[in-house]
Amino acid sequence: MNARVESAPQAAPLRRAVIVLLNLLLAGTFILIFALPSPRQRAYSERIPVRFWHMWSGEWKDVVDRIAARFNESQDKYEVIALSVPGGSADYKFLLAVAGGDPPDCMAQWNQVVPAWADEGMLVPLDSLMTPEEWESFQSTAYPVALKIGSYKGHLYGVTTGINIWACYYRPDHLREAGLDPDKFPTDLDEMWDWGLKLKCAGPDGSITRMGFLPGWYAQYAPVFGGGFYDSQTGQVTINTPANLRALTWLAGKQKELGFDKVVRFQAMLNTGGFSTQWPFISGQYSITVDGQWRVEQLAKFAPDLEYRTAPIPPPKGGRAHAGWSNGNFMIIPKGAREVAGAWEFIKFWSGVENPERAAEFYTWGGWLPLSRRIAQAPIYQDYLKKYPQFRTFLDVLPSENIQVTPPVPFQVFLWDMVGRADDFAMRGTKTPKQALEDLEREMQQEIAKRKRFGL
Amino acid sequence: MQNNRLGLAFISPWLAGFLLFTAFPFVASIWLSFCRYDIVSPPIWVGLANYDELLRNDPRFWKALSNTLWYAVAAVPLGIVTAFALALLLNLEVRGMSVYRTVFFLPSIVPAVASTMVFMWILNPQIGLVNGILSQFGVTGPAWLNDSRWAMRSLILMSLWGVGGSVIIYLAGLKDIPVSLYEAAVVDGAGPWDRTRHVTIPMMTPVIFFNLIMGIIGAFQYFTQAFIMTNGGPEDSTLFYALYLFYRAWKYLDMGYASAMAWVLFLIVTVVTAVVFRTHRTWVHYGG
Amino acid sequence: MNDSWLFRLSPYQRLLTHAVLLVLAIPYVLPLIWMLSTSLKTDAQIFPREGSSISPVSLENLVPRPVQWANYPDALKTVPFAVYLQNTLMLCALNVLGAVGSSAIVAYGFARIRFKGREPLFLLLLATMALPGQVTMIPTFALYTKLGWYGTFLPLIVPAFFGSPFFIFLMRQFFMTLPEELAEAARIEGASEWDIFWRIVLPLSKPVLATCALFQFLGSWNDFFGPLLYLNDPSRYTLAYGLQQFMSSYGGKYAQLMAATTLFTLPIILLFFLAQKTFIQGIATTGTKG
Repeated sequence: MNARVESAPQAAPLRRAVIVLLNLLLAGTFILIFALPSPRQRAYSERIPVRFWHMWSGEWKDVVDRIAARFNESQDKYEVIALSVPGGSADYKFLLAVAGGDPPDCMAQWNQVVPAWADEGMLVPLDSLMTPEEWESFQSTAYPVALKIGSYKGHLYGVTTGINIWACYYRPDHLREAGLDPDKFPTDLDEMWDWGLKLKCAGPDGSITRMGFLPGWYAQYAPVFGGGFYDSQTGQVTINTPANLRALTWLAGKQKELGFDKVVRFQAMLNTGGFSTQWPFISGQYSITVDGQWRVEQLAKFAPDLEYRTAPIPPPKGGRAHAGWSNGNFMIIPKGAREVAGAWEFIKFWSGVENPERAAEFYTWGGWLPLSRRIAQAPIYQDYLKKYPQFRTFLDVLPSENIQVTPPVPFQVFLWDMVGRADDFAMRGTKTPKQALEDLEREMQQEIAKRKRFGL
Repeated sequence: MQNNRLGLAFISPWLAGFLLFTAFPFVASIWLSFCRYDIVSPPIWVGLANYDELLRNDPRFWKALSNTLWYAVAAVPLGIVTAFALALLLNLEVRGMSVYRTVFFLPSIVPAVASTMVFMWILNPQIGLVNGILSQFGVTGPAWLNDSRWAMRSLILMSLWGVGGSVIIYLAGLKDIPVSLYEAAVVDGAGPWDRTRHVTIPMMTPVIFFNLIMGIIGAFQYFTQAFIMTNGGPEDSTLFYALYLFYRAWKYLDMGYASAMAWVLFLIVTVVTAVVFRTHRTWVHYGG
Repeated sequence: MNDSWLFRLSPYQRLLTHAVLLVLAIPYVLPLIWMLSTSLKTDAQIFPREGSSISPVSLENLVPRPVQWANYPDALKTVPFAVYLQNTLMLCALNVLGAVGSSAIVAYGFARIRFKGREPLFLLLLATMALPGQVTMIPTFALYTKLGWYGTFLPLIVPAFFGSPFFIFLMRQFFMTLPEELAEAARIEGASEWDIFWRIVLPLSKPVLATCALFQFLGSWNDFFGPLLYLNDPSRYTLAYGLQQFMSSYGGKYAQLMAATTLFTLPIILLFFLAQKTFIQGIATTGTKG
């Protein structure tokens, strides 16, 4: 018995065309395989290559490429080859490359990695690349926060090329509308809260349509209240301190006053899923908000007609002025890099450790806050400030000793995640601030004990 | 037919690949689960310390596990029923069916960026589509993804979006059912409903079995949406096992601990799969 | 044999079917509509004005005014599109060939040949899918580095030729539903097992083969993690990688990002739409089945 199998009758032409197309595609790609483009040609192939990874893309990548080109033009020994790696996954690529023994020569980072990676011995201490005089000079001219960001256990592992500072942005038009004087911006936190209440608008069903001022983000406010999560004298993590409790209680109390559920819904409305250019401040959903210095350039580009002003975060009674939390971009050199000297030259060039006046220009290209006073005082930078006067607020706050960074402990990322979690619990009213802090303290003690058990 | 050498010859590509590329990483990860490993420094043997820590001292582990279990129990059956029903619908001879089929497959093709944005809007508490419709009926919808009681339910709902792949597999299977079986059923006086129950479903059991196993394995490894949209929040309500594992491995650089977590999951999934596999002979019907 | 009379619907049933499908289809088609809509807007139209809805997704903003077609050519210029496309197509073609071909062979072994250890080996196959890939990433990476494959395309191509558990499982299920009589008859006539596989089973399995090909193509098309980890030379990157780079941009070229995403998605949609008959194709056999 012979079985004959037939395909069902089909509208032949279209299907046939598709099959032919697919076959052509297949054939074409086989040909293409042999005609693949050769690897990227180097501009200065006789020089020593310095491989540099970074996470910038789009127009920011162009800025980085320009800086690298300037470096290449300024000397004839090294060539910096910049590679842009997508931000979310750059860390794995980097870690795997280090583990595999083939890391880049330097990398621009902005995640909380210095303590953890330095503790594992993954990074080259950059102070060892300086002469004693250079190290001395660096420590005295760099801003305190720059030193905090890049240091661990007395050594410098990262040199900042841009520091992030947070301050208040406010809209004079909203203020005037509510009968408040934009020239007399509050210098006390509770006063700013009262202003916020006057600026708040609600819809007919009680849901908030415009938020005057919504304080949030515990990590930013804890220093403002005089608290903090790290004691640099003892090197210990501090969590359940009176000042920290006061900060969290104040914040949670304000959420409660507005209505926990209403706040959650309002914030969800603004949740844009990660596109940073959608800023509620521009569309008028916030009258006063706390945000970083990069917004200045964004506003100039995308909302040049918007009238706005900036001011430092006002402390409460008994709090600290010009305080807050900060992070930044910094350059690191991994252990096992092939070309350490060249990488270091590039870092000095860009950050302004060497020739601050020349480097000032690079800072203006990215709208970045400078590493040291000398850069800030360079004429190019001063011109930049004249162009964007609101930027001055951030520069004023920058030298403050009251700015804190994420505690420099090896389990820093874990700690910070836990702090955020406690923040969440308190802000939603699920736990009282006291409870949230006590739980957090307990969790951190457990983690520290566990690390001891594992011999860390 | 029985033929040991021939059988092994046919499966040799997979066997070779397994021995070359899969076996070493597997064995290595078992070993790593007994070590303290931060990726960069060499691993240090710590014996059962990771497992001990995991099972006795980590409340988040249990939270992650229970979250994942709840998701699996809810989403897998829901997914199978929805995909099967859709496939039946899409199998009908109605004009424009090819367009419909493409539409239901779209979310599997469209990158997460777009689906995430749209989904977060649909479920937005104040300006979203669902709550907007609900308010027409005078109901205040919940805060969905922003409410710790509803976030998981939102994600389960969202999983229905991704049934396109299963639908295609079901469609391929549906077309394979011999027409003669339907004809015989009609002769016996069966209506469309009976035909579905007595012909379609039994003949589709091999494919349903496939989707069940893959669904279970997939549910236990659910990660992407939680990573992009909720990051485990609010309040750990969407902290999935694979997400927590990811944090431990790559954020806190505790790869040894993460390996221990992976092997615990492996054991659970293998046991569940084996149970389903053992019982499958009772309900899966291979024709031919 | 014309079988459509079994599935023919009355006009009322047809209308009902359309209605149900249309309603169900709405949430499925929304992402694409929104992508298209955003991709044709100017940046000014995307950024919210005073008092308007902050959300980038809203009904009132659906239709772009004016329609900015330029976003598409602009998006193409931002990344080396031609190079990425070339690399992506190459990887897709090789992976589809390798994965579908090798998986079919292995699946046949598991489905149609009884041999010692078949069931335990099959369970092992399933088990390999149960371990989260996070923890095997490093040993796998180390393995490829030791082989000297770091920086080349090899880690992205070679594994496909050794069978993919997902496809093996799926194909096995389908092969097991094929009637034994066909194979028996061929064996009586002296055909080898390979002949049976190649000449009888494979042609009957076009739907599942095409389905697997589609899935593999989709997977390779969308794979950005593989290129991220193993490639260091931008001239070797793929479209998925390029899109990821676009997405990490803080610059705000939002509309162009959506244009790029749409361009990235369109080929697959077209491929599926045109080729769907192939894998949903039924086979009408004369005589033997049933």
